[in-house]
Amino acid sequence: MARMTYLQAISDALRTEMRRDPNVFLIGEDIAVFGGAFKITQGFLQEFGEDRVIDTPISESGFVGAACAAATVGFRPVVEFQFIDFISCAFDQIVNYAAKCYYRWGIQMPVVLRGPTGGGVHAGPFHSQNPEAWFAHTPGLKVVLPSTARDAKGLLTAAIRDNNPVIYLENKFLYRHYREDVPEGEHVTPIGVAALRTVGDDLSIISYGATVHHCVEAARMLEKEGASVEVLDLRSLVPLDRKAILESVRKTSRALVVHEANLTAGFGGEVAALIAQEAFEYLDAPVTRVASLDVPVPFSPPLEMAMLPSVDKIANAARSVLAY
Amino acid sequence: MSHPSPKITLPDYPAELQADPRDLPYDKAQLTRFYVAMKLARTFEEKLGALYRQGKVNGAVYLGMGQEATSVGSVSALKDGDFFTTVARNLSAFFYKGIEPRDVMARWMGKDIPPSNGRELGLFLADIKNFGIPPYHNGSMASWIPSGAGYALAFKLRKQPNVMAAFTGDGATSPGDFYEGLNFAAIHKLPLVIICEVNQFAYSTSIAKQMPVVNVADRAPAFNIYAETHFGNDLFLVIEAAQRGIEHARSGKGPALIEFKTFRQRGHGEHDDMAYVPEELRDFWAERDPIKMYREWLLKRASFTTSELESTETQVEADVESAITYAESLPMPKPESVTERLFAPSPHDPDPNQAAPYEPIDHPSIPGLTAAQDKSEGGHF
Repeated sequence: MARMTYLQAISDALRTEMRRDPNVFLIGEDIAVFGGAFKITQGFLQEFGEDRVIDTPISESGFVGAACAAATVGFRPVVEFQFIDFISCAFDQIVNYAAKCYYRWGIQMPVVLRGPTGGGVHAGPFHSQNPEAWFAHTPGLKVVLPSTARDAKGLLTAAIRDNNPVIYLENKFLYRHYREDVPEGEHVTPIGVAALRTVGDDLSIISYGATVHHCVEAARMLEKEGASVEVLDLRSLVPLDRKAILESVRKTSRALVVHEANLTAGFGGEVAALIAQEAFEYLDAPVTRVASLDVPVPFSPPLEMAMLPSVDKIANAARSVLAY
Repeated sequence: MSHPSPKITLPDYPAELQADPRDLPYDKAQLTRFYVAMKLARTFEEKLGALYRQGKVNGAVYLGMGQEATSVGSVSALKDGDFFTTVARNLSAFFYKGIEPRDVMARWMGKDIPPSNGRELGLFLADIKNFGIPPYHNGSMASWIPSGAGYALAFKLRKQPNVMAAFTGDGATSPGDFYEGLNFAAIHKLPLVIICEVNQFAYSTSIAKQMPVVNVADRAPAFNIYAETHFGNDLFLVIEAAQRGIEHARSGKGPALIEFKTFRQRGHGEHDDMAYVPEELRDFWAERDPIKMYREWLLKRASFTTSELESTETQVEADVESAITYAESLPMPKPESVTERLFAPSPHDPDPNQAAPYEPIDHPSIPGLTAAQDKSEGGHF
């Protein structure tokens, strides 16, 4: 075990897999000479050389298309988006090329598309978004969102070894705010298995990514008020661990779904619909959602904090569900 | 014609092939191979259009009549291990490379044959192993220029002396992907060859409404790459230009853009009556039909006899008929197969019965989560 930040865990996974498999290469903006805008690939150019750490022109569609192609002929490229907001520039290559290749022709495309998501750092409308629902809606893409450093490493390792396109969404608030002991060397977290972060009997809070931490905080507050709260971290949206969601809700009979992406047509709606359809007779309260408000992510701190979910918003929603 | 015709300036392309057979390295068998590939595509597409109008082929069909010489000439310049990707107009390239007409017909009919098993239209084929055709084409024009750069990058990283040849059209030089893909390929001197067939219309939109330059090759200086422009209905001009472009790319000097002026004799798809194409333009290109010109050259200049060519043509007709019979005899895909093969199996796929583990977050509160943000760690944000 080594004490690592969430960011260091991502670097560690990349470095470990690049040492293990010569077919892994990195491609993206400012990742080589500069070591990445967040310094995730600091020192990689020196260790792996310019054939495996490729600085690109500012052209997301161009380098995503190129990486996806290389993935069909034996490479395992890992693409970095400097901010995940710019993934929209490569939307066509992802949803029309990467997502459909194996279905159309049976040709595997093992490519990882990763980058920093999320707000709470006062970065404004184009450095703060959470685009997971766009991709979870597209058949053929796996969508992974680690909430801990251990999972950041384990899920990235699994994503690189996966034979499909994987959208790996990091949270930039967690990069340097979260640290824990992470296994050294090989560490794999299978994609598609949720994790229980707290165990309880009265309420299931289902979340993923950064808001898992808000949910755990809220659970601690509610525990002091006498409620026993279970926090389920989905870890991946595609594939979705439906079994874990339903098992938890059937046990607690109450469900609160939380994510940082905005509410409408967010992935929480999918989780709520699953629970409503498959566990209706177990429910003692309406399935409730907490998410960002349906506005772009504003820059000024009071506006951004008003927009994002918070521990208090989650705890209040949980109290309502518990009191129903 | 109900549409007002734009004033057009016709180029001075000759209506016959210029090559002297004594200067060419091709024997009779090779000259026949060129002819068969072009004639087979033309005959196949005539039949395919008829089947579509009879409702025997679903959806829409897109034909490449008139562009057979650019297709065959270009792929004939490729070597073993080279890759190529086509667009809707390059069926004759498929046939030149040995793809069976019956398999293409079966795909057009939505039959259950690999590799797409009914999931993709007949013109979209990816088969790296057998034909060097990597997966491409996202539906949006030019989307395969970035992927083309990716295949060229793969060759370069592996130090493999091969090229990636991507067919594209004038319309596909407008989207950003054309620029992004070529820009990347040019920076890294990747062995990417763009075969650009300028067929006069992007769907219904004329070149004048698509680009502010006369030739696509006029865009090449922006990438500092090799470019040539030629009349694309002269098979031998096409072969020579494609060879130069391909060998340029193969030699490590970077991408080549080879532009061929040609004409799409049918609409964008068979639903399109191409009423927007001026009569004068149709007549000009009809006189310069690539198969007609090549056939005349074979008779006049290469000592082929009419009966020889007629016998080849009869065989081609029979091949297309048997392709249809074969394709019709194949089963359609089973409806329940629709959800199969969405994800490839992977080494760490979880056991479906695996329960969610208890992995607590036992750290103290994250700074900034409930209080003001802690910036002491430094770095971006």
